[in-house]
Amino acid sequence: MSTVSETRKPRRKAAARKTTKAGARSASSSSSRTDAVVARSEVLIIGAGFAGLGSAIRLRQQGIEDIVILERATDVGGTWRDNTYPGAACDIPSNLYSFSFAQNPEWSRSFSGGSEILRYVHHLADHYNLRPLVRFEHNVESMQYDDQRGVWCVKTSKGVFEGRSVVMAQGPLSNASLPNIAGIEDYQGHKIHSAMWDHDYDFEGKRVAVIGTGASGIQIIPELVKKAGFVKVFQRTPGWVLPRPDFETPGWNKALFRRFPASQDAMRKALYLFHESVALGIIWDTPLTALVERIGRLHLRMQVKDRWLRRQLTPDFRIGCKRVLMSSDYYPALQKDNCKLITWPIARLSEKGIRTVEGIEHQFDCIVFATGFDVSHSGTPFPVTGRDGRVLGEEWSGGAQAYKSINVSGYPNLYMTFGPNSGPGHNSALVYMEAQIDYLVRGIQTLRERKLKALDVKPDAQRAFNRDIQRRLAKTNWNSGCKSWYLTEDGFNATMFPGFATQFARQMAAFDLGDYTELPA
Amino acid sequence: MASIDLEKMLVKIKNTQWSLADIDWEAPGAELITEEQWPKLKEFMSDLMWIEHVGARAFAAMAKKAPNDTLREIYNYFHAEEQRHANAEMALMKRWGMLEGDEIPEPNINLRLVIEWLDRYADEMPVYVLGTVVPMLEIALDGALCTFLLETVDDPVCHQAFEKINDDESRHLGVGFTVMEMQGHGKTYIKAAKMLAPLLDPRLLLGIASYFPLLNKMRDNVIAMGLPEEKLYAAMNKFEKIGGRTADGRRNPWFQIIRQHAKFVVNRSNRVYHVPVDAVVRLTGHIPRRALPAVPSWVKELTYRPAA
Repeated sequence: MSTVSETRKPRRKAAARKTTKAGARSASSSSSRTDAVVARSEVLIIGAGFAGLGSAIRLRQQGIEDIVILERATDVGGTWRDNTYPGAACDIPSNLYSFSFAQNPEWSRSFSGGSEILRYVHHLADHYNLRPLVRFEHNVESMQYDDQRGVWCVKTSKGVFEGRSVVMAQGPLSNASLPNIAGIEDYQGHKIHSAMWDHDYDFEGKRVAVIGTGASGIQIIPELVKKAGFVKVFQRTPGWVLPRPDFETPGWNKALFRRFPASQDAMRKALYLFHESVALGIIWDTPLTALVERIGRLHLRMQVKDRWLRRQLTPDFRIGCKRVLMSSDYYPALQKDNCKLITWPIARLSEKGIRTVEGIEHQFDCIVFATGFDVSHSGTPFPVTGRDGRVLGEEWSGGAQAYKSINVSGYPNLYMTFGPNSGPGHNSALVYMEAQIDYLVRGIQTLRERKLKALDVKPDAQRAFNRDIQRRLAKTNWNSGCKSWYLTEDGFNATMFPGFATQFARQMAAFDLGDYTELPA
Repeated sequence: MASIDLEKMLVKIKNTQWSLADIDWEAPGAELITEEQWPKLKEFMSDLMWIEHVGARAFAAMAKKAPNDTLREIYNYFHAEEQRHANAEMALMKRWGMLEGDEIPEPNINLRLVIEWLDRYADEMPVYVLGTVVPMLEIALDGALCTFLLETVDDPVCHQAFEKINDDESRHLGVGFTVMEMQGHGKTYIKAAKMLAPLLDPRLLLGIASYFPLLNKMRDNVIAMGLPEEKLYAAMNKFEKIGGRTADGRRNPWFQIIRQHAKFVVNRSNRVYHVPVDAVVRLTGHIPRRALPAVPSWVKELTYRPAA
């Protein structure tokens, strides 16, 4: 584990000298220690996960070296550093869940586990020598744009950082959320959230509850059933589960990829095209949707013989409306002698366990919350103040909007990875991420080449873009009537991109300077 | 009477949950059950418990067909609440020494046939059908059986449990009659025809074939317990009165059918109805249990234990 947290001391001294009246408004407004300007750079990246590190790699490849990465934890890795629960793995084949510019011929399985993905992220950080850029244990508290100087002042727990451009790469799934269940504080047993796993807890012989049967729940359950005394799984809504063809990569395959990287490219392309074709079934309601649903139902029928259990596990919404789950060992695990699916609504948590509406108190030694993340649809993870004191969270209160998912008008030189409407439902998130990274690199390059102070997207361009996105979303399965974390309470979809990954990549490939206001230096 | 606001009802349902652990099943009073009462009460409670459980399964089916998310969630809660009633009634039976070890009382053959039908076909039935039959069964339960139980049993724990059960049931009935009125809203011929179309469905005819004898069997059990059958009929008349209080309610063709059927049941001099149905009750009594398929696994979810 890296402890390279203070590698920029020379810069810090230089930066300290620059702490003058020209400092950030937020910095000068308070005399507290954390408001001192620590460093200034051309680009500030928030978050050292896949997106933050990927951005740094691509920026450097284009000759942009003056980069600081702010990371709240003590190591790189983002979601793969935090989500270390047993069974954590990716739903997308490893060959596609990796950067095209940093392929790994050594993946041990077709769908690698979380620890191997995290090793890949560490490899990126080490191979590209990114750790010196990272300021660990720097939690971003707020950020504010200084119109006069054209810089962003980012207030962290350890001082203010200034940057000409900022990449918000903190990730959409970075804040674990406990469900809003009555009595959650009353429960006296052990509590674990999937994103903050307690590796010291011994499940051997314990009575365990798992609340949540989403993407992390269905990965945790088969592992817990192997260890715990008894596992009760609390399900609210059954999801569509498709088989997951996970197998060990043979040695010859790795050797082939090592010797002929083009073969890995070809494999990646084939996987990409296969996932693109799946979009036809799960993003829109087409004849393929019925086919994919049939595969899901067949999978259930083959793995679950009991009629009532099958009924409990049959989804009542169109496939694709919520995240499609991939697992071949979830249904068998539920039917083990030491496992039971509970579908009664939860009334409340009590001192010893969970009271469900059929009147029974289910008692446990430990409750595992696989209840996902606090996905912010309308707010921002910390206050972001743009030009003329405008606040992004307020502007987004009716639903988040951006231009091409990456820029917001009134917030110059600010780029978001996985901003509004960039979520994939059928293909690798990293394909989308690469397209966004290449776009932000072009934006930052443009600023440099044209010697501009700032680039601010025009409000009209942003409006036109969102009109089109929402019109296209209306025809998708996500907006077909189910409730999901993709939608706000009002049913507004600020999360997903309504199209193929190829369409998203094409959207991001075009950098139309005409859609931006150029602010001269 | 105006229909209830289902959104507010859902909040109320969530806020008024209780569990078996809220009742002290060991509290004194079990000795108040007399020796004469005991055997009849055992059979009565067993039937009552199974009728609750059948209601639970019907609500589960209704949740599948609910026209909106609020009603779906309400039915999901009602499904669990009916199971809770069955569990509480089992806990009373355990308290009164009517269950050996982990024994689950056996449903009578007519209930067993209804369980079989529900398991196979209920999910396929339109919400109109179950949405009208269930309030009918509930009102009969609420108005007659539970009242009778409280009139004849002195055990305070029984009263405590049924106070909670009756509160739940009143919400079930409130929603039930509101939904019946919702279904009767609009008076086009096409809509009425659409609601009646399932009558041609052989699966529904099978359901009717198990529902008719069930009511007569319930009546026989009630009489065996010493309850004047008029009390049961008075409760069934309430269904007609409440269901028919609005034009929308009266326009629901399923209300009209069930109401008419209730009249047949109540009228003991209608030999055209009662002779064949009573014959079916007797006939079904001869069906060997081994001739029926294994009970569905949801039946095994019942428990008298407050904690698991």
